Amino acid sequence: MMAPPWLDVLDETIKVCVTHNRHDLELRLREKRARQLDPTVRVLVIGEAKQGKSQLVNALINAPVCAVGDDITTTVPTFVRHAETPSAALVRSASRRSAIASSPTERVPVPIDQVAQQVGHEVVRAEIGIPRALLTTGLVLIDTPGVGDLRPAHTASTFAVLVQADAVLMVSDATAELTATELELLRKVLENCPNVTVVVTKIDISPQWRQVVERNRALLARAGISAQLFPVSSALRLRAAKSGDKGLNAESGFPDLLACLQRDVVAGSDRLARRTVAAAAGSAITQLVAPLREELSAQDSRRTADTIGALHEAQRRIDELRRRSARWQTVLADEMADLVSDIEYDLRDRTRTILREVDRTFEEADPATGWDAFEQWLEDNLTEAATTNFSWLLDRAEWVAEKVARSFPVHRDDLLPPEIFPDDVLDRVNKLDRPRIESFSLPQKAFTGLRGSYGGVLMFGLVTSLAGMPLINVISLGAGALFGGKSIKDESDTRLKRRQAAARAAAQRHVDDFFLKFSKDCRDAARHVQRSLRNHFTTLAEELQETLLESARSAKRAVQDDQTERERRAREIRSDLDALVALYKRAQALGGPGLELSA
Amino acid sequence: MTPHAAAWAMLNEALAVYRDSPRATAFLRAQLARFGEPVRVAVAGAPGAGKSTVVNSLIGEEIAPVEGLVSYRDGPAPRAVVIAPPAPPQEVPIVRRDGRQRVDSGAWRSQQVERVLVDWPARSLRETSLLDTPGGASPELVFGEADAVVYLMRHMHDADLRFLQAGGDRPSVSTVVVLSRADEIGGGRIDALSSAKQIARRYRRDPQVQPLCQNVVAVAGLLAVAARTLRDAEFDAVAALAALPRTDLEEHLLSADRFVGHDFPVALAPQVRQGLLERFGIFGVRLTATLVRQGFDTRTKLVGQLVQRSGLGELRDAIGQNFTERHEVLKALSVWRALEFVLRAEPRQGARKLTADLERALASAHDLKELRLLAALQTGRTTLPGDLEAEAVRIVGGEGTDPVARLGMDFEPDERSLRLAVTDVLRRWQDQAVNPVLDTAQRAAAGVVVRSCEGMLTRLS
Ligand SMILES: Nc1nc2c(ncn2[C@@H]2O[C@H](COP(=O)(O)OP(=O)(O)OP(=O)(O)O)[C@@H](O)[C@H]2O)c(=O)[nH]1
Ligand SMILES: Nc1nc2c(ncn2[C@@H]2O[C@H](COP(=O)(O)OP(=O)(O)O)[C@@H](O)[C@H]2O)c(=O)[nH]1
Ligand SMILES: [Mg+2]
Ligand SMILES: [Mg+2]
Repeated sequence: MMAPPWLDVLDETIKVCVTHNRHDLELRLREKRARQLDPTVRVLVIGEAKQGKSQLVNALINAPVCAVGDDITTTVPTFVRHAETPSAALVRSASRRSAIASSPTERVPVPIDQVAQQVGHEVVRAEIGIPRALLTTGLVLIDTPGVGDLRPAHTASTFAVLVQADAVLMVSDATAELTATELELLRKVLENCPNVTVVVTKIDISPQWRQVVERNRALLARAGISAQLFPVSSALRLRAAKSGDKGLNAESGFPDLLACLQRDVVAGSDRLARRTVAAAAGSAITQLVAPLREELSAQDSRRTADTIGALHEAQRRIDELRRRSARWQTVLADEMADLVSDIEYDLRDRTRTILREVDRTFEEADPATGWDAFEQWLEDNLTEAATTNFSWLLDRAEWVAEKVARSFPVHRDDLLPPEIFPDDVLDRVNKLDRPRIESFSLPQKAFTGLRGSYGGVLMFGLVTSLAGMPLINVISLGAGALFGGKSIKDESDTRLKRRQAAARAAAQRHVDDFFLKFSKDCRDAARHVQRSLRNHFTTLAEELQETLLESARSAKRAVQDDQTERERRAREIRSDLDALVALYKRAQALGGPGLELSA
Repeated sequence: MTPHAAAWAMLNEALAVYRDSPRATAFLRAQLARFGEPVRVAVAGAPGAGKSTVVNSLIGEEIAPVEGLVSYRDGPAPRAVVIAPPAPPQEVPIVRRDGRQRVDSGAWRSQQVERVLVDWPARSLRETSLLDTPGGASPELVFGEADAVVYLMRHMHDADLRFLQAGGDRPSVSTVVVLSRADEIGGGRIDALSSAKQIARRYRRDPQVQPLCQNVVAVAGLLAVAARTLRDAEFDAVAALAALPRTDLEEHLLSADRFVGHDFPVALAPQVRQGLLERFGIFGVRLTATLVRQGFDTRTKLVGQLVQRSGLGELRDAIGQNFTERHEVLKALSVWRALEFVLRAEPRQGARKLTADLERALASAHDLKELRLLAALQTGRTTLPGDLEAEAVRIVGGEGTDPVARLGMDFEPDERSLRLAVTDVLRRWQDQAVNPVLDTAQRAAAGVVVRSCEGMLTRLS
C-alpha cells in the first residue's frame, strides 16, 4: 500500500527537526505519527464541570454507561468502545505519582453497573465495552473529569488524555454562553487537536438557548476559532430512545451531531489525519522558523535601533521578573506554614482517637491476657495513622507546588518540578530510628515496638498515596475485641485496676513518643520540600533571567558581528527558511486552505 | 469601648491628622458617611451567575437589570442617580414598562458610567443596602466597596476560589456563598432544588471552601423573584395548567420549546405561556403546577412554598445572622481597613499614635476574636472535645448574637433565669479555660467563650 501523503510530510518534518536539533519537537511528532497509524479514532468529550459531558456520551450511544450526577461526578477518564458483550474494567496504577508517565498498571474487570462505585483513588481510567453500531468502526468515546474544578488532579488527568485525542467534543451547556475560562480551554484544546466541535447541551431547560448559540458563534468567531457548533438535549434524546419517539429524537438535535461525527470523524479519518498532521507539522515548523528569522532580522545592521530597543525591552523584562518574584515566594511560605499546621492537627487527631480506644479497652480488659495481640493492634493503627498522615502531606505538597506555579510571573508548561519530593525526603524518613519504647511494667510483657521502622511502611504508603485523602480516622478493629471474654475474674479488683492503669500509661507514653517523633519528622520533611521547591523555582527564575540576558547579549553581538560572516550566515539562513516555508506549504495543503507563511 | 465606638473615634482622629491632605480627607469623609449607613452587602460573581436576579429577589421587586455597579438603598420613592465623571451626577427617570420598573438608561448610555445609585422603598433595604456588581468586578473593588459579600457561583470553579482567596481574611468573616440558579444544578428535574441544597451542604464542609465563607446556601433566584412578585393573571394561568391531569401535561413540559409550541392542550395564549416561561423558567412552571396540584392552591400558599423552596428564606437568614446582626463589627472592620489603607498610602509622623491604636484595636477587639474563633471551629483548625464544640460555636454567636440564641434557649427567659443561665455557662467555661487536658489553642478558645459570657453578663446588668 502506498504511504499516504501526510505520512511523507510528517516524516520530512521530523527529519528537519532533527537537523535543527529540536529533539523535543521530534519526540512530539513521533508520538503523533504512531497515533495516526493506529486505526482507532478517539473522540474526547471535554468541558468544565457539570456541563453534561457524561450524559452526552450516554445519549450518543443510548446507554447509561457513564455516571451522571448533580454534584461533581466523573473523576477519571472513561473510555467507551465497541465490544461484543457489555463489559467494564478499571485500570489501576501502582503509583499515583507516576500515573502520567508510563508505569506498571493493572486492569481489573468489574461489572458494568459497578464502575462508578468502584472508582477509587488509585484508578487512573475506566474502560467500558458495549455493542453499538456507532462504535464498530473503531470509534472510542472518552468521557473526562471536568476541567477547572477544585481538584487539580481532575484537570490534570483530562489534559493527560487530551494528547491522545483525534477529535474533541467541547461541551458547554445552554444555560449560559461560553465563559472566558471556557474559551481559554478551547484554545488549549486546539493547540493539541485541531478537530474540535462545540456541543451546546441542555437546550430543553434553557428558554433562550437560541440566543446562547448565536452568542457562542459570535464569541468563537471573535476568538478566531472555526469550530462547528451543535445544540442538543441529551435528556430528550434518552427519553426518545426509551419511548421510540422519532419526533422527540429530532428535537434533541442528536441526528445532526451524529451525522457530523460519522462524516467528519469516522468516515473522514484520513481527512482528520491530514488536518492533525497539518497542524502538528505546521506548529513544529513555525517554531523552527522563529529563531532563524530573529537572527536574520537582528543581523540586519539597519535594524540597530531595533536591537537596542530589544535590549531595553529585555532589561525591562528582567526588572519586571525581579519585582514579581516576591509573590510566589510569599505564596510558598504561607502555604507551607498552613500545611505544617494542618498536618500536625491531623496527626494529633488520629493519635487521640487511638488513645481513646485504648482507654475504653482497658476499662474492661485485663492487660495480662491478649497483650501481644494488643501490641500488634497498636502498631497497626499507629502505622496506619502515620501512613495516611504522611501521604496527605505529600498530596498537599504537590498541591502547593501547583499553586506556586500558578503565581509564578510567567507561564510555561514545565513550571512544575518533575519531582516535588526530592529523593532525600524519602531517605530521611527511611532512616528514622524506630521509636524508643519504654517497657511495660508487667513481668515479661513489654512493647516490642513498631517492628522495623515506619519508614518502610511510608515508602509503601507513598506508592499507594491517595488523592484528596479524606481526613477520617479508621481504627481497623476495636482493641477491646482482642481481649474479649478472656478477662480473668479470680483476682482482686484492685490488682486488675492497677494493671489496667499501668497498661494505659504505657500505651499513652508510647503514643506520645510516637507523636512527638513523627510530627517532628513531618515538619522536617515539609521543610525539605519547601527548600527544594524554593530552589526549583529560584532556578527557574534565574534561568528565565538568563534567557532574557542572553537574548540581550546576542542582540548586541549581532550588531558587532563581522560583516562578511554575517552575509554568509544570512545566505545560509535564507536557504534554510526557504526550505522550511516550502515544507510548511506542503503541510498546510494537507489540511485544506490555511495560513500563509512567508520567508 | 466597643469596636464600633473605637472605630468612630479613630476615624475622627484620622480626619484631624490628615486635615491638610485633601485626598485623604475626601476618602475619610466618605468612610465617615458610610459608617452611619446600613451594612453594605455586595452581590458578586461571574457574568450571568444571577446576581441581578438575586438582588431583585431580596428587594422583592422586578427591577430590570442595569449594567455596571448599582447600589440600592432604602428611600421614600424610587429614584436613580447616574454618576459618570466628569459629568455631574444626574438624576434619570424610572419608567414602568410591562410590569417592570426600569431605570431609563437611554439618557446616559454613551457615557462612561461609574455607578448608579438607586433609592427604592423596600423594607429589606432598611437594615442592609445592596450593591449589584458587574460580572468582571475585581475582588479589591468588591471587598473594598462593601462591608460584606454574597458571592454567587454555579459550581465552585477555580476562578471563584481565586476570587475569594484574593479577599484575604475578609471572606472568612463577611461572606456568604450562594450556589445560584439552583434549579439548573439539578437539570431542571422536579427534585432539583433539594439536590442543590445537598450540594450546598457538601461545599459547606469542603476544606477548601470552608475557610472562605461563613455559609453556603443554594438559591433559585428566578423562582424567588417570580414568587415575590406573583401576579394574579399568572396565578390563574398556573392554576389552569394544574387543572390538566399530570400525564396529559407532561409531554408539553419536556422542554422550553414545547411549552410555547403549537397544539397546547390548555387554552393559554402563546404570549401568556412565553411570559410564564420567562418569569419562572421551565423548572418553575413544572414546580408551580405540581405544587398547585398538591394543594398549595391559593396565591398565599403557593407564594409561601415557592419562597421557601427557592432558598430565598435561607439566604435572608444567612444575611441577617452574619451581616445585619453583626453590622457594628463589620462597619468597624471596614473603617479599620480604610484606615490601614490611608496610613499606608500617606504615612506621616503625626500618624504614629493612630497606627499603634489601630494595631491594638485589630488585635484586641473581642467581636473579631469571636469571628475568628468561629471560623477556626467551623474549619476544624481548632477543635474541642465532645459537646463543648457545638456549645462554643453557639456562645460566640454562630447561631445568632442575642443572648437567647447564644445560650441555645428555646423559650423566652425572664431576666433572672437568663442571668442564672449565663452564670452557669460562664462557670463551666472558666473551668475549661484552665483545664489541663486541653491544649493551648483549646484553652485560648475557651477563654474567648468566657469573654463572650462576661459580655452577656455586662449587658444584662
Ligand atoms: N435537562 C437536562 N439536563 C441535563 C442534560 N445533560 C445533562 N443534564 C444534567 O446535568 C447534570 C450534569 O450532568 P453530567 O453528565 O453528570 O455532567 P458532567 O459534565 O459529566 O459532570 P462532571 O463529570 O461531574 O464534570 C445532571 O444533573 C444531568 O441530569 C440535558 O441535556 N438536559
Ligand atoms: N433558571 C434560572 N435562571 C436564572 C436564575 N437566576 C438568573 N437566571 C437567568 O440567568 C441570566 C442572567 O441573570 P442575571 O441576574 O442578569 O445575572 P448577572 O449577570 O449575574 O447579573 C438571566 O437570563 C436570568 O433569567 C435562576 O435562579 N434560575
Ligand atoms: Mg461526568
Ligand atoms: Mg447583572
